[in-house]
Amino acid sequence: MWHTQNLNEKVQEGDEEMKKAAKRNAQILAIDAGGTMTDTFIIDENGDFVVGKAQSTPEDESVGLLNSARDALAYWDTTVEEEFPKLLAGVYSGTAMLNRLVSRKGRRVGLIVNKGMEDFHRMGRAIQAYLGYSYSDRLHLNTHRYDPPLVPRELTRGVTERVDLFGNVVIPLYEHEVEPAVRELLEQDVEAIVISLLHSYKYPHHERKIRDIAKEVMKKVGKEVPVFASVDYYPVRKESHRTNTTIIEAYAADPSRETLIKINNMLKEHGANFDLRVMASHGGTISTRANELARTLVSGPIGGVIGAKYLGEQLGIRNIACSDIGGTSFDMALITQGDLSINTSPDMARLVLSLPLVAMDTVGAGAGSYVRIDPNFKSLTLGPDSAGSRVGVCYPEGGVETVTVTDCHVVLGLINPDNFLGGEVKLYPGRAYEAVKKQIADPLGLSVEDAAYGVIDLLESQLRNYLESMILGKGYSPSQYVCFSYGGGGPLHTAGYTKGLGFEDVLVPAWAAGFSAFGCGAADFEYRYDKTLDINVNDGAADDIKLKAGKELQAAWDELKEKVAAEFEKSQFSRKDVDFRLYFRMQYQGQLNDLEIEAPIEAFKDVNDWDELVNAFEDTYTRVYAKAAKSPELGYSITGAIVRGIVEVPKPKIPVEPLAGETPPQEAFLGKRNVYWKGEWIKADIWEMEKLKPGNKIAGFSIIESPATTFVVPIGFETYLDQHRIFHLKEI
Amino acid sequence: MAINEKELTSRKNIGWDGKTLKQMREEIDQLSRTTGHYAGLKKLPLKETEPIRYEKIFSKLRGGVVHARETAKKVAASPIVEQEGELCFTLYTPEGDSIVTSTGIIIHVGTMGAAIKFMIKNDYEVNPGIEDGDIFCNNDCQIGNVHPCDVHTIVPIFYEGELIGWVGGVTHVIDVGATAPGSMTVGPVTRYDDGYQVACRKIGKNDTLLKDWLIESQRSVRTTKYWLLDERTRVAGCHMIRDLVLDIVKEEGVDTYKKFIREVIEEGRRGFVNQVKTLLIPGKYRQVSFVDVPYKNLDVPPYARVNTIMHAPTELTVHKDGKFQIDFEGVNRWGWHSYNATPVSITSGIWVMMSQTLIPNDRVNDGAYYASQFDLPYGSWLNPDDIRTAHSYAWHFLVSAWSPLWRALSRNYFARGYLEEVNAGNANTSNWLQGGGYNQYNENHAVNSFESAAEGVGASAVRDGISHAAAIWNPEGDMGDMEIWELAEPLIYLGRSIKPNTAGYGKYRGGSGYETLRMVYGAKDWTMFFMGNGYMSSDCGLMGGYPAAAGYRFEAHGTNLKERIEKRLPIPTGGDRDPDNPEYDRLIEAKEIIRDKQAITTETIFENYDLYLNYLRGGPGFGDPLERKPKMIEDDLNEGHLLPRFAESVYGAVVTQDEKGKYIVDEEATAKRREQIRKERLKRGVPTKKWMEKERKKIINKEAAVQVRHMYASTFALSEKFYNEFKSFWNLPKDWKLTEDELGVPVFGRKINKMR
Repeated sequence: MWHTQNLNEKVQEGDEEMKKAAKRNAQILAIDAGGTMTDTFIIDENGDFVVGKAQSTPEDESVGLLNSARDALAYWDTTVEEEFPKLLAGVYSGTAMLNRLVSRKGRRVGLIVNKGMEDFHRMGRAIQAYLGYSYSDRLHLNTHRYDPPLVPRELTRGVTERVDLFGNVVIPLYEHEVEPAVRELLEQDVEAIVISLLHSYKYPHHERKIRDIAKEVMKKVGKEVPVFASVDYYPVRKESHRTNTTIIEAYAADPSRETLIKINNMLKEHGANFDLRVMASHGGTISTRANELARTLVSGPIGGVIGAKYLGEQLGIRNIACSDIGGTSFDMALITQGDLSINTSPDMARLVLSLPLVAMDTVGAGAGSYVRIDPNFKSLTLGPDSAGSRVGVCYPEGGVETVTVTDCHVVLGLINPDNFLGGEVKLYPGRAYEAVKKQIADPLGLSVEDAAYGVIDLLESQLRNYLESMILGKGYSPSQYVCFSYGGGGPLHTAGYTKGLGFEDVLVPAWAAGFSAFGCGAADFEYRYDKTLDINVNDGAADDIKLKAGKELQAAWDELKEKVAAEFEKSQFSRKDVDFRLYFRMQYQGQLNDLEIEAPIEAFKDVNDWDELVNAFEDTYTRVYAKAAKSPELGYSITGAIVRGIVEVPKPKIPVEPLAGETPPQEAFLGKRNVYWKGEWIKADIWEMEKLKPGNKIAGFSIIESPATTFVVPIGFETYLDQHRIFHLKEI
Repeated sequence: MAINEKELTSRKNIGWDGKTLKQMREEIDQLSRTTGHYAGLKKLPLKETEPIRYEKIFSKLRGGVVHARETAKKVAASPIVEQEGELCFTLYTPEGDSIVTSTGIIIHVGTMGAAIKFMIKNDYEVNPGIEDGDIFCNNDCQIGNVHPCDVHTIVPIFYEGELIGWVGGVTHVIDVGATAPGSMTVGPVTRYDDGYQVACRKIGKNDTLLKDWLIESQRSVRTTKYWLLDERTRVAGCHMIRDLVLDIVKEEGVDTYKKFIREVIEEGRRGFVNQVKTLLIPGKYRQVSFVDVPYKNLDVPPYARVNTIMHAPTELTVHKDGKFQIDFEGVNRWGWHSYNATPVSITSGIWVMMSQTLIPNDRVNDGAYYASQFDLPYGSWLNPDDIRTAHSYAWHFLVSAWSPLWRALSRNYFARGYLEEVNAGNANTSNWLQGGGYNQYNENHAVNSFESAAEGVGASAVRDGISHAAAIWNPEGDMGDMEIWELAEPLIYLGRSIKPNTAGYGKYRGGSGYETLRMVYGAKDWTMFFMGNGYMSSDCGLMGGYPAAAGYRFEAHGTNLKERIEKRLPIPTGGDRDPDNPEYDRLIEAKEIIRDKQAITTETIFENYDLYLNYLRGGPGFGDPLERKPKMIEDDLNEGHLLPRFAESVYGAVVTQDEKGKYIVDEEATAKRREQIRKERLKRGVPTKKWMEKERKKIINKEAAVQVRHMYASTFALSEKFYNEFKSFWNLPKDWKLTEDELGVPVFGRKINKMR
């Protein structure tokens, strides 16, 4: 709350002329409903935005949302009633579903599986006993533990059936076993039933048969609950992933639909003319009526990546390395040739899933990360645990006793202890100094300043390594990418973690603090559907085999296109409005990892198209895994088809301001501060970010402060603010 | 010829400062031995003067090695590598000491080091030569490998003509062309049955694999595709790490790099010593384990047809100065089976274990090795005195011999109050479902299920061990998805279930094991076999806890499953919950149903619709079962971890069922029943001295199964010390002897015999 208010004030001050114009045209509403606070971001036609906050109201989220929007619009001296009718779009992202899942407060779900497999869901996968653990805890066996299963064993039933990996029926469905199973589950008062059979993605009929019998039985019994056959939702291989995801659909997602509809109705009641869309894991937004709602489980960090993608589209940047430092973690993602990378078997909430999720690499290293010396190995360790909002030793109210990265910032003078988060939180440099001395500097035999500098240096060097290896791992080099740095802690370290990597450019949006919400507002209206395939073609196969393979792929694309089109129809978009994009997954025969590639063809027509697909695959493969790993002699497998469908929706404008000169205005200069840098105390220029004008150039050593972030320009660097209020950081 | 000789002698040495690698190796050994510090480093100048720079180099190396593993493993086709993570990359000094390693099967930190040392010792610098761009391969057990299926790729790293290090990559391949299919086949009794063994051979030049190697190696194994992609995985990872090292050398300078690699090993040594001082208590800790070798009726050569037992006594000494010593005095002789081990494999394996408990951090390197001492009797199964030994499943003995070490450490932790760290021991990581033939794709194939990577874990002193979770050789265990295993195996799953009564009972029970029932389908010319403990438990409970259940086998041949399925009749599915009252057998007719404790078998023909039960073991328990909370027993019953009759007999629980069949443990009645059991225990008990007297008589009269006698006889034949200690402990007559010769079992290959 504190920083938002302050942030808004700053935005206001920096925007006097607009204020005089008085009339606002709110266009995009982005909602971030957290467990305790609901934030709303409202963006106007000029790209200006305002942030509102209010207590979340879990029993009826629309109440908290309305309060939050009122709070936001108050800064523009306007009202919900005035602005909602002008809105062109609204996007929701929230943690309610995730909380429901993590706290195991979802529906009472019954599960029907193959007879004999009744234990597999509760057994989970052993990997779930250490998902999300730090490296050392992954090794440290006694720390491993399982979370309780979403569906207990007593609500699981088996029916005899088996289909093999090719989709051949090995054991037909023992239909007579279905009714008793369904009845028993209904007797146990289940609120939904999930069906998941092995290899159903290859042979959907048995799951669907069970689904239909279940519905009949329910009618007979007079007790109807929703039924979810996994193949109707996630027809992809790996039963733990598929079953978990389908269960989440029944357990947490479907109950959330009601909430979303309520919010949508509330918005309409207040004059909104659009259908609320929900942020989804694949990086697009979907309707509240979408079939697969579990993919809206995701929230938070992907917003920034989508914002970067949109900003890249507007600025004509195709390859972007996104980096975001918050209090607890460093999040990285790559946008390559304008596309997000997608992880199709990700994990969330310590469960393996089969959702397409924007691929992000997260490292437990943020501003609040603890800094320690290992007592036995005498090595300096950062994280993985963090003080989070408790900041560090320098913030007595936080009650933290272990040095954090922020304490080191304070010692070095990089952050203003009297203006941290807009001055609402007062920091005590003396406390930080003492703690760094005792815990870090003395054991290492360094001065306090050198120790604090060393911590930051080590942190930035680790982040640089992660960023570099992520890009190299994709088969590219940093020089082919523009690095975007945002998030509260990002700009403080941008220079440090990009130094020497040779990025094409390094961008820090001045509006970095609200970047994630901006991203939500900028997301495409997009459905993405995946289907597992097993099409094998040997090296040098005859044309008829290639043709047959191509036809099978095309059939899958057609099927998925239908699915996507049907989703858009729910929102009154016809097929011609939809921009369809086709992808395929390919690997050498026998491999277990495939690559997702955009099809270089619009439809499969002839044998030449096959060669095009193979060439596109091999180009990517050799880039990612080195030439030596190329194995055409094994033949090729197409393992999946993907269709993305996108329709045009209104998106926020990027601010455009007239260029002023290179010299920053005097009123932006806040004075000088002592900063310890590379072994000496130097005088840094302090600037107020909001008062800098487009066209201004600032050389190191400078610190550009805003209430929500601090941007450091060290010696050897220079920054330039462009007309979109984006800083470009250059090494000179 | 003259030219060649001249070339050889004028060749510049590739070691530092014009030395040979052999000279460097000798120097390091000499310095480390005389000073007690690795490479004689009493100080760490780089770390002490520039601690941040030092950490930066470390984190770049470590991060890069881990990342190379993550990237390279995606090239592989084998679920063993890709899904189970059975691969590892390690960076070495020019002398072959490990600096930093990735995650994964880190036992190979030591084995690849042994291969490098072997090449140095055998003057590879001169012939075949070690040059930039070379690729070497090793999987020879007698050079130091664990078993032939762990194949190493080793690449030298040169900087300006000087060798600055080595990088090694290892994967567990699915088949090595042994007598029967599968990576750890059962049946080999000599090295010559173990499969294709490559002894530190140069297989590539200029970063390219040589054609003769590619042809020969692929013709020597059954699963060529997997072999090929595994090798590409290893080469790709090694090259990524080589680039990383050269990058660091460019940034930091080669001199700094050279200093760094020495210091990081000495740092590892010091850190380990400090860790020992923090977590352990000086003193001697003794423990033992056994495991069965039921070979009498197996289809193996006559000299191998012996039923015997592995003997693995250990004495851990924690010295006051933090030195860590494990003495294996008393282990018995190697044998004509596939479970022999090499010294490197047992010591390296101990680090795999230590990194899960004593040093769970990223500083695992040869430093810890320099801080410890292992005494490994020559001629025993862990240090054979014969090149003919077979090793294809060395793990059968290794995992069994390590379990007592958990107990040794746990007694330390318990005494220091680190109750959460206590672990009653590791499961016997079996069964190994293996076999091969023509698979569902009609390809010549071998299978090796790694469902065994998720076994029950030992109990701690504050909670139950976790179920179906990990393996001693891989804390990041996983059972994988059934749909993925069915891609690799023509074996349809008919069940995957938690197996009751597999966890060791206790105040805190071990983690439960599980079982999967497989029906052969779509196979041709198909054989399979079993591999695991059957007659014996290789672990043992801790402080009153019970050991985990031992193994058994279930297989059914010539079943009427096809007909039953056609008629929609019930068929065996799910678990074999109570083998004493088998359900499966009631649901099928078959030409042959085998249920017995012979859990090690050689190739058996399986036809389609035959059944195979893959049972993965549980972990041992902690504390007296009579102290287990009734609510926990109730949960165990209702969740299928325990059969009711054992709740009564072992836990003293008084159990009833409600109308829905839910079990209820009556707390009050249970308390009473337990009191009674305690009284019965007292009544049954005899003073130790009296019991020993009784046992002593049995020993004097040699009243023990021939397997037990054989086990001790082969120990006595190797160790006078153990023999004398045994005699004095049991107060045996001076002339009491037990020899291998008196047992009527073959003594083929015996060399050392101190009982003569």
